[in-house]
Amino acid sequence: MQGVLQQVFSGLASGGIFASLALALVLIYNAMGLVNFAQGEMAMFATFIAVTLMDRGLNYWIAFPVTLVIAFAGGVAIQRIVIRPVERAPVLTLVIVTLGLTALINGLAGFIWGYLPRAFPSPFPSRTISVLGAYVSYQDLGVIAVCGVVLLVIYLLLQRTTVGLTMRAAAHNPEASRLMGVRVSWMLALGWGLASAVGAVSGIMVAPILFLEPNMMQTVIIYAFAAAVLGGIESPVGAVVGGLIVGVTVNLAGAYVPYVGGDLELAVALAIIVAVLVLKPNGLFGRPSVRRV
Amino acid sequence: MALLELEEVRAGYGPTSVLHGISLSVQEGQVVSLLGANGAGKTTTLRTITGGVRWSGNIRFAGRSLNRMHTEDVVRCGIAHVPEGRGILTDLSVDENLKLGSYLRHDGQAVRKDYERVFEYFPVLRERRRLSASTLSGGEQQMLAIARALLMKPKLMLLDEPSLGLAPMVVRAIFEIIRTINQADGVAVLLVEQNARIALEMSSQAYVLEVGRLAVKGSSAELKGNESVRRSYLGY
Repeated sequence: MQGVLQQVFSGLASGGIFASLALALVLIYNAMGLVNFAQGEMAMFATFIAVTLMDRGLNYWIAFPVTLVIAFAGGVAIQRIVIRPVERAPVLTLVIVTLGLTALINGLAGFIWGYLPRAFPSPFPSRTISVLGAYVSYQDLGVIAVCGVVLLVIYLLLQRTTVGLTMRAAAHNPEASRLMGVRVSWMLALGWGLASAVGAVSGIMVAPILFLEPNMMQTVIIYAFAAAVLGGIESPVGAVVGGLIVGVTVNLAGAYVPYVGGDLELAVALAIIVAVLVLKPNGLFGRPSVRRV
Repeated sequence: MALLELEEVRAGYGPTSVLHGISLSVQEGQVVSLLGANGAGKTTTLRTITGGVRWSGNIRFAGRSLNRMHTEDVVRCGIAHVPEGRGILTDLSVDENLKLGSYLRHDGQAVRKDYERVFEYFPVLRERRRLSASTLSGGEQQMLAIARALLMKPKLMLLDEPSLGLAPMVVRAIFEIIRTINQADGVAVLLVEQNARIALEMSSQAYVLEVGRLAVKGSSAELKGNESVRRSYLGY
């Protein structure tokens, strides 16, 4: 039983990481009906920026928020420079553009920082603490706490502030929002910035576990897709719940299902994606898209 | 000087041109009807004013040219446009919809008063504040759209078929309140309507469009009294 609990806790930690990246995907999907395949690479790039800042002597807890601000600005810049010119293009065009971004950012990171995996510091001690009889690492608890805080901040921003209200309005109905004076195009840019910052959190949290290299996020993004699809790709709450479920499921499957082990954990995520698409295409929190004709 | 002035305005969607040179004006505090059959270009005229369509010619509002202005900037000049289909954000609550009307204003005290007034006009909105706007009936959504427009504190309201799809009783009530808004706040109204009878009752000036051109203009009383205009354009 303690073993299970231990796995659940470490599953929640990876779940928090998946949830952050999944939320980033959902933010952009909501704003423009597009799955941003470059989200993981953007997070990886931000993580490299964080480590560069720390190499320059910045304290972890200073480098972390500074990185988020840079990631935010980067997200806004990408939307303004790369996405805006093709905003009205068919979705397939946009998908190709984000795939191009993926390759570009990946290559750029490799060019600047090289492909050798490097250690990334964790601010949390590696000791464990006993919670309900299970040994849980401070690392896991720290990740859960950081992701929890970030997700809460995003939630409050979207639900309780005027800027959040106009962002949601612009995402749901750009035409009507413009008539209320909402600067829709800038709201999209804000959405990209926010997504980029939230994604960066997932990169920084996962880097101490996976080691930092340009391909670091390529498996994480699959889990994030699974989380977003499971929760309902349009639902921020769904992304978080989906992330936690995927994290715990994958961890438990890895520990207790024979043969899954470490190698087939990704297959579990893909199985979740396929199962959701077959059984409940709108996800747990998604609404069926109904159109009045 | 007129509050809103259109001069030889042409507009269309892509290669299809819809308005072939329209001139009209709305004075401060005036109610003007824009009438005509389906496809005459009434909705397009409103969309042109708020920059939803590409257009050429001249449009001036409160002494400013609206040429090349984006929708969100036109609206910020003091034009509230209640579009065809009402433009309700059905994913948001009633309250959030109203907040979108007032969020650009900085006169907090006056905003609170306006909320009180809006809830006086439409008590049902107060009851449903926390509900999703999608739960409202058609009439209630129209009320929400007008309430939201009022909270923008506009100088001019563009109303696109407020009577569409509503029961006659509801239509009466809504037009009563439009009249009150016009008289109490001095908000000018450019009213697009299929229901010519009720529109002419409300307005002092009227224009009739026919396939993108101005066919008739005159005072509402004149148009009401003119049998041949009524028969050929207004259908009653």
